[in-house]
Amino acid sequence: MPEILITLLTIGVVVAAIPGVCNYLILLERKLSAWMQDRIGPNRVGPMGLFQPLADGIKLLLKEEVVPPHVDKVLYLLAPALSVFTAMMAFAVVPFGPVDDSVPGFLRFIIAPNINIGLIFIFAITSLGVYGIVLGGWASNNKYSALGAMRASAQVVSYEIPLGMSVLGLALMSGTLNLEELMHQQTQGGIMSWNIWFQPLAAIMFFTASLAEANRLPFDLAECEQELIGGWHTEYSALKWALFFLGEYTHMITISFLTSILFLGGWNLPFIAEATSNYPGVWLVKLLVLFGKAFSFICLMIMLRWTIPRFRFDQLMELAWKVMIPLSLANLVMVMFCMQFGFNRWWLFVGSLGLFAAWGVISANLREAELAARPGYVKPKKKAAAVAHGHGHAAGHH
Amino acid sequence: MMDWLQAHPMTVVGLVLWAVGVLWLMPGRQAGSTRPKIPGLLFTAAGLFAFCLSCGKPQTQLADEVMFWVFAVSALLCGVLMITAKNPVYAALWFALATLATCGLFLLQSAPFLAAATIIVYAGAVIVTFLFVIMLAQQSGAAGYDQKSGQSVMATISAFVLLGAVAMTLQQEKLEIGVPIVVAKAKGASDEVAPAQPNMSAMMQASGSGAPAGGPTPPPDAPEEKPAVPGNLLSSADPEHAVGDLKGLGRSLFSDYLFAVELAGTLLLVASIGAIALAPRREQGAL
Repeated sequence: MPEILITLLTIGVVVAAIPGVCNYLILLERKLSAWMQDRIGPNRVGPMGLFQPLADGIKLLLKEEVVPPHVDKVLYLLAPALSVFTAMMAFAVVPFGPVDDSVPGFLRFIIAPNINIGLIFIFAITSLGVYGIVLGGWASNNKYSALGAMRASAQVVSYEIPLGMSVLGLALMSGTLNLEELMHQQTQGGIMSWNIWFQPLAAIMFFTASLAEANRLPFDLAECEQELIGGWHTEYSALKWALFFLGEYTHMITISFLTSILFLGGWNLPFIAEATSNYPGVWLVKLLVLFGKAFSFICLMIMLRWTIPRFRFDQLMELAWKVMIPLSLANLVMVMFCMQFGFNRWWLFVGSLGLFAAWGVISANLREAELAARPGYVKPKKKAAAVAHGHGHAAGHH
Repeated sequence: MMDWLQAHPMTVVGLVLWAVGVLWLMPGRQAGSTRPKIPGLLFTAAGLFAFCLSCGKPQTQLADEVMFWVFAVSALLCGVLMITAKNPVYAALWFALATLATCGLFLLQSAPFLAAATIIVYAGAVIVTFLFVIMLAQQSGAAGYDQKSGQSVMATISAFVLLGAVAMTLQQEKLEIGVPIVVAKAKGASDEVAPAQPNMSAMMQASGSGAPAGGPTPPPDAPEEKPAVPGNLLSSADPEHAVGDLKGLGRSLFSDYLFAVELAGTLLLVASIGAIALAPRREQGAL
């Protein structure tokens, strides 16, 4: 089949599948949230509420399109479209399945193969995603929307830096930014060559920064319901509102695939999908393995939502500028050091843990020093002193 | 000068028409004055058309040619719309689109990294910061001074004289002598000539495609180190290096241009240290 037809077919399948998948991810999110909070969750439409997404989709499609009179119409309508467009574009260079000889010729699990700057392309496109939020917030002509949009733009611009810098070490180690090539290197070596062993710190930082980029809890200050009603999408309803959420969930899917591909070996799984496995239908197994990894990341994101409370804005900025950026720089220097002097890669694992611990100590000390500089600060007594008094609690009780 | 004027009447006519159109479209001195837009648009379109006709050279493949014209014309149009927009938010957005169109031109010249980096830095960060400031500063709509353009006549004249100089230099095909002058002028000009940025890029791409391969074609949004050294990102002096991909770019930056890269890095470091030193401390009452 000619190349262009395969490309068109892939684009068609991806563009058609993503909204449906996103719909069911919302159901998953509601069910998982219900499970975590000891509720039942949606169970009215269909068996176990399985048709709930369809009902919701139809409702959103048929709802009246309200455009408030006080908005800037062009930008108001452009913003949700931009949000979806950028999220979908970023998916173009993500291999969502095995890209090797085992796949039958008419299938290709990536829209744009062989992009030399794959990762940078994704960063470039996702950095445009903030326009959807900023324009939506500004065009709505509403205080809460504007506040949400301002928070979002500061947040996204800040977290872009650690997001990009955390994978620089990985790129340096692998010598490429091409996602297919990055996946190939890990799948050839088996589980012991997954990048998470050599860059555990980078993996955590990448995942955290991408959560912030996607505006997911605990980083959803741009839309936090308790303070801002809905943040930048306060004035949106019906399908326009749904498009914003389609953008957010597409972003989640992209992040999950990226984290699986960059750090968890892509489709590689010991005994089941190795580079040497050669049974019929192996490509399907590989595809399912990668999907499974991405799915677990999505579940992790949803469960994080009910585990970690939302940050305060200054904490959010401190996390980016005072913790993640210096840490990712140190990580990069560590990789450069190892590469230059030809050390074994496993030193990177030790080094990452060391960096993590060292930064924890430094942060705690800095925090204490900062608190101590504040007027009216009472230094908490050491636990040992409290125990010596005969109480196991209540420092400063006397 | 006179020879060039006689040899390329089309360019001159196009430039003049275009300048008149842009001047017409600029927001007037009094905020709220409304001028009919149609004549300005007609002049701009006619000028743009004549100018493109006079300086464009067809490229080899049809698809390339179509994409080149789409990107080049949209970059120019977005530039015009940016300086003529009344609303600063729209101006910032047109700026973003002009940047994206220029990145498309970079892609056509097989410089994907330059394109992606420009998107990240300009469209993704700089213009978002503009929007941020506009939103933060003008909650109650744009201020009066933002809805009109000061010195529009001078700005238009200087921008189009600069554009004419660029066109003349390129059409005389003395690129070896011309390049430093052109770039020096572009650097010396202030933000008044903002529309000339995408224009220059389009023009240079246009004539660069006709120039012999390997001839020095200056990158339009080039960092400051470029004119000092022979060859550049888009067409290396050394054909051995595959300049398009990341490896070639890295090798080139850290061997041929090492001094310039380090110089730029030091400059940025000094600037950021300066910014931190200037900003008030928490003890001095900030936040």
